[in-house]
Amino acid sequence: MITITINGKEIRLAKPTTVLKAAKEAGIKIPTLCYHELLRLYGGCRLCVVEVERIPKLQTACTLTTADGMVIRTESEAISKVRRGILEFLLINHPLDCPYCDKAGECELQDLVSKYGPDAGRYKEAKRKVPESHEDIIFTRNMERCVLCTRCVRMCESVQGVSALTITERGGRSKMEPFSPTSFNCEYCGNCLTVCPVGSILSRLYLHSYRPWQIDREAETVCPYCGVGCSLVVQVRGEEIKRVVPRIGVGLNNGLLCSRGRFGYEFIGSPERLKRPLIRTTPKKQSTVNSQHSTVTELFREASWDEALNLIADKLKEIKGIGFAGAQRYIEDLLGQGITANLISGLKHSEVIMVVGGDPTAVNPILGLSIRAAARSGAGIGIIGNAKGLLRTSRGKTLQIIPPAFKEAEILEYLLAEVYRIKGPRRENHALEQRIGKLSEKPPKTDVAGLGKLKDMLLGSGSVSIVLGMDVVQRTDGHRALFAIAGLTYLLEARLYLLSDRPNEQGLIDMGCLPDTLPGGRPLGISDFRRKFETEWKGTIPAKEGITLMEIIEAAKDKKIKAMYVMGENPVFNLPGGSYIKEALGSLDFLVIQDIFLSETAELADVVLPAFGWSEKDGTYTNLERRIQLLRKTVNNTSGMDDWRIISSVSNKMGYKIGYSGVEDIMKEISRVSPLYKDMTYSEIEKGKCLWPYNGEPLRGVISDIPLAEKKTHEYNGSLYLAPERVLFHSGTLSRRSPALRKIAPEPTLKIGVHHAEKLGLQEGDSVTVSTAWGSINVSVSIDNTIKDNKVLLSNNFEGKGVFSLLNFSIDKITKIPGTEGCEVTIKKL
Amino acid sequence: MKTEKNDIKIKVCMGPGGIATGGADVIKVFKDDLASANIKAKIGKGCSLHKVGCFGLCARDVLVDVIVGKNKTTYQYVKPDMVPRIVKEHLIENNPVSEWTVGDDYYSFYNKQIKVVLSEFSEVDPEDIDTYTAVGGYEATKKVLTKFTPEKTIAIIKKSGIRGRGGAGFPTGVKWEICRKVESDQKFIICNADEGDPGAFMDRAVIEGNPHSVIEGMIIGAYAIGATKGYVYVRAEYPLAVERLTIAIKQARGKNLLGENILGTKFNFDVRLKLGAGAFVCGEETALIASIEGQRGMPRAKPPFPVHSGLWGKPTVINNVETLANVPYIIRKGADWFSSFGTEKSKGTKVFALTGKVKNTGLIEVPMGILLREIIYDIGGGIEGGKAFKAVQTGGPSGGCIPAELVDINVDYESLAKVGSIVGSGGMVVLDDTDCMVSIAKFFLEFTQAESCGKCVPCRVGTKRLLEILDRITAGKGREGDIELLEDLGNDIKLSSLCGLGQTAPNPILSTIKYFRHEYEAHIKEQKCPAKVCKDLIEYGILEEFCKGCGACLRVCPSKAITGEKKKPHIISVDVCIKCGACFDVCKFKAVKKE
Repeated sequence: MITITINGKEIRLAKPTTVLKAAKEAGIKIPTLCYHELLRLYGGCRLCVVEVERIPKLQTACTLTTADGMVIRTESEAISKVRRGILEFLLINHPLDCPYCDKAGECELQDLVSKYGPDAGRYKEAKRKVPESHEDIIFTRNMERCVLCTRCVRMCESVQGVSALTITERGGRSKMEPFSPTSFNCEYCGNCLTVCPVGSILSRLYLHSYRPWQIDREAETVCPYCGVGCSLVVQVRGEEIKRVVPRIGVGLNNGLLCSRGRFGYEFIGSPERLKRPLIRTTPKKQSTVNSQHSTVTELFREASWDEALNLIADKLKEIKGIGFAGAQRYIEDLLGQGITANLISGLKHSEVIMVVGGDPTAVNPILGLSIRAAARSGAGIGIIGNAKGLLRTSRGKTLQIIPPAFKEAEILEYLLAEVYRIKGPRRENHALEQRIGKLSEKPPKTDVAGLGKLKDMLLGSGSVSIVLGMDVVQRTDGHRALFAIAGLTYLLEARLYLLSDRPNEQGLIDMGCLPDTLPGGRPLGISDFRRKFETEWKGTIPAKEGITLMEIIEAAKDKKIKAMYVMGENPVFNLPGGSYIKEALGSLDFLVIQDIFLSETAELADVVLPAFGWSEKDGTYTNLERRIQLLRKTVNNTSGMDDWRIISSVSNKMGYKIGYSGVEDIMKEISRVSPLYKDMTYSEIEKGKCLWPYNGEPLRGVISDIPLAEKKTHEYNGSLYLAPERVLFHSGTLSRRSPALRKIAPEPTLKIGVHHAEKLGLQEGDSVTVSTAWGSINVSVSIDNTIKDNKVLLSNNFEGKGVFSLLNFSIDKITKIPGTEGCEVTIKKL
Repeated sequence: MKTEKNDIKIKVCMGPGGIATGGADVIKVFKDDLASANIKAKIGKGCSLHKVGCFGLCARDVLVDVIVGKNKTTYQYVKPDMVPRIVKEHLIENNPVSEWTVGDDYYSFYNKQIKVVLSEFSEVDPEDIDTYTAVGGYEATKKVLTKFTPEKTIAIIKKSGIRGRGGAGFPTGVKWEICRKVESDQKFIICNADEGDPGAFMDRAVIEGNPHSVIEGMIIGAYAIGATKGYVYVRAEYPLAVERLTIAIKQARGKNLLGENILGTKFNFDVRLKLGAGAFVCGEETALIASIEGQRGMPRAKPPFPVHSGLWGKPTVINNVETLANVPYIIRKGADWFSSFGTEKSKGTKVFALTGKVKNTGLIEVPMGILLREIIYDIGGGIEGGKAFKAVQTGGPSGGCIPAELVDINVDYESLAKVGSIVGSGGMVVLDDTDCMVSIAKFFLEFTQAESCGKCVPCRVGTKRLLEILDRITAGKGREGDIELLEDLGNDIKLSSLCGLGQTAPNPILSTIKYFRHEYEAHIKEQKCPAKVCKDLIEYGILEEFCKGCGACLRVCPSKAITGEKKKPHIISVDVCIKCGACFDVCKFKAVKKE
């Protein structure tokens, strides 16, 4: 405990902190400009100078650490004079173009000058002249306004870890510049926008289109793009989203966003949005033949809500039948429910992080930042496969292992066997250990470079995190990799993170959107659990397990299922084997699609219902760390309908009464029936600290009957093969309808390594035909020097050019996860 | 059997001044001539030809000592073409060339000096470690490592009273003691050889003249604080210093003075060189650390001071070259010996680079507390050309001007600070009545403004504004209130800047305003430059009564502004004149006026 005095006020501190923070805690305001709580200290602007007894020179409050007995004054004539002087200096160069500048109204310099600044300047010399740069597609850069606080540079360098910006020259000639001569050449996270105190870096998305004080309303909500669930604030004028900004101190992202979250909001106002319910007019068989060229009016007619809902109710009564979260389910079965529920912030404190099966900085960018932060503070990062975004900021301790094609599972099994051999059993989970022991008897042989080093890294640390992407899981033998990861997690007592590119995927699982579970992850097969819900719902719940998504599709193909109701999903495009799925869904008697856009799947529908989109509805969102957050409505949509209202209406029309009056009613029911959400209320969620299990309900235990692994050998002839790529700037349906993200990354490209590009005589931008046994498409080539093996990568984010359309329809028999491991490919230059 | 000729030693000054005036060529001709005169066989035995460090009196370079037996003769202004005659008459005929030797005034340059750091310059070949050990070099290392504890070593340094020679004057022993007491798995010692003040070359001369004294100081310092790694941060613009340090480090490693188990003890220490990339601000210790770490050389706020958190966040002592070079002598000769020089608070000697308008310019080492008058008149030999002494600028861009009326002050940390200047790193520029004080201030501001790193607002913007105002004043466009604005602005910058560069940048202005306010006023109110330096405020004209019409001015005028017939008074056309002053300098009859 130390005691300091600020302005005569005695302040007790548990441990030393900076004078600035101590003052802030005590409610004493010290002006700052270059200081930013997310950034490393700088001490350049000198506005926060204070007087400290027994120190002759003025000290900057932001950098000075408190010591016991320190006596500080934050206001005096000398200090005021210095502050006035500094602001006068800044205004010498800063143009007074506030009426024109977008920042006016939320400009820190403006606020500071009005409070601490001089009435008038004493200098008449010319201001610095630098033309405003509009060369970048997203940012404008105005170096006349820049106060050289370097917040943007520090953000880019030591938080985002990209170092796309720097200060060039020195002294009075200093200026902030991107390293590339014209554009920002960066990850377009826009976090520099957040920290710029003046109007030097501005977003072109809304340049000169409104003023901060002209915002009609704003709401804190959750990003619609991935499983991380960053908090953000949506600001609306009229019914148009003007801006999405993060807020410091709010949410797990604490002021940071990625390109999708920050710039991907425009889809909500897209002219392509579904506005009215649609009912099919053209017979299905005819349209599927020629669906590439069909338009809405050719296939459908608009209908009233009543008509559409009545039709659905009637048809479903006549015919009488969900997501795939197999990876998580499989691991939870082995290690217990909630094993993958780890706080993202914990990554920062790991000593060793093993990353397998995807690039976290592309799939879940904000989670990726935590890995970069760990790398900066000296953690060892072991990457198996491609994770370009982690190599970008690699320090000496980043290790990359490139597994031979289709050998990822073997490498993981080898690691597991080695760890088991050296570390021995933990003697807690008998069933699991027995299986690991069996696997270790005949460990796979492998001589991949770096594997021994990775093993030493894992064994040498008591604080290991494993980050698992879906690339090694979405395979026909994905369960092998999953088992190895589960084993490693168990033996190393590691924290496990599953990357999730689907927003609120966890929420769906929690609500029981699985074939064999009730809400709260309670097994369907146990009658006690069923009874509880039967009482609540006043009906009977069939004891028989349902089937998984891929099985449903197979069943549809075999005419075992006659009708399907699909909400917010686009299986034809988002699953491998598009033509197979099209055929399967095409043979249904009745298909309902509830979505915000007319997707490839919707073209097969009998009825299409326009749903509300993100920012148009209230609700909750559960992220990959099991954090429950509120989604809030900011935009009024007059033509669509809330998902819950649509379902209630259909149900009511079918004769089962659902009487919710609003989303809070639904939450009340959830908190009543789900042991994970027990007693949770909106007002509790609002505080931002809700993680399940809320109120400490016991979690589901582990299973003792572990299904046996299936060893599959891939016939692979060693030439090029195609694999899905997950890109930073896109996620599919939403992002491709966001003009800003289309500007950053307009087209899909085929990523190919340098040596293969040379072999095929390909250059950057060349058009090629990519063909597999299941299809072919034309795309342009992008040469990627981080690809060192035989892979070529293509994303599944652009209409008509998705990688999944080139892959076979396949399924992991154990996890029921679709296999997207890729296949042999031929590339022909056009 | 020894003949007289076997005892010939020739020492050629290869300090900064010696090199600049052609010392290398002198050495070459000596070598060739000695060879052809058949004295070659004896080179390296009895007859040796040395390149040695700075002799001090750079104004007389190239200085050459020719020692035959016990007789030393010093030649001044030696040019290569003079060498054959010296060899022939002095070495062969044993008859020194008296017209080229130095006179009595040469010795008065040395009389008031006390040489510690520079003491062995004429004995030591900087590229040969054996010549250093021959005069007692590395004895201090041996003594410290085998006999003294680190605490005892620190106690000696503390007792000697030596303070940092880099400018700030912090007691070296105290710095070491603080660092010693900080617990850490790794500590560093850094030698700051990023000498950047315009006109200062003390550190360069020490490194080029006796690099081993610096390395020895580092070894002792490292032992005292518990460091195992050291860096010398030296300007890349000092290639010879870099070369000689490189050689010296290699030789010291060869003798097990650096490396593991130094001199058979358990002490490990090694030194690496790090070259600066030409930024003045990297002489500031935190910027220097950033630069070594591979970051942009920008200072950061202190505290934490480097002794607590320095290089890579580890406790680090940063000492100036001259400070470290003093250390071996303090250990060898004792703290009492060292503190017998100097004043109560400023102990020992200090090296100054004496430049400007004195007769004897060069490198001097004087006891702290010597009178300024003694430096200027006794050592410096007074003002050149019989002009009037006006002021001394000390401490470079961070320092101030001391006017002639204060010539009787003592030169030590406290006394100079009291009159608004500083000892600084040791630059000393003597000014006479042809120097404009506003222009002097402007010169230093141009420097600091260009060297400001741009991190903190007051220095980045403030120095530029100060310079703009000075530009205006020297251009005759000064405004009423400008002096007060300079003072106000200057004080704000001093008070609020981040590092020493900004905190001292206004000093040249503030001290010249303090003592020479009238010169500023003359520029502003009368648009006159009293020293007739500021181009925009002077006009050249021809005094008809003195002009002989010789045409010398007409021929040198680059802008053809002078017209006139032969043997008739010429005329300068004011509109065409670019005020270069060529006519003024060339006229033998003082017929060109400047007003």
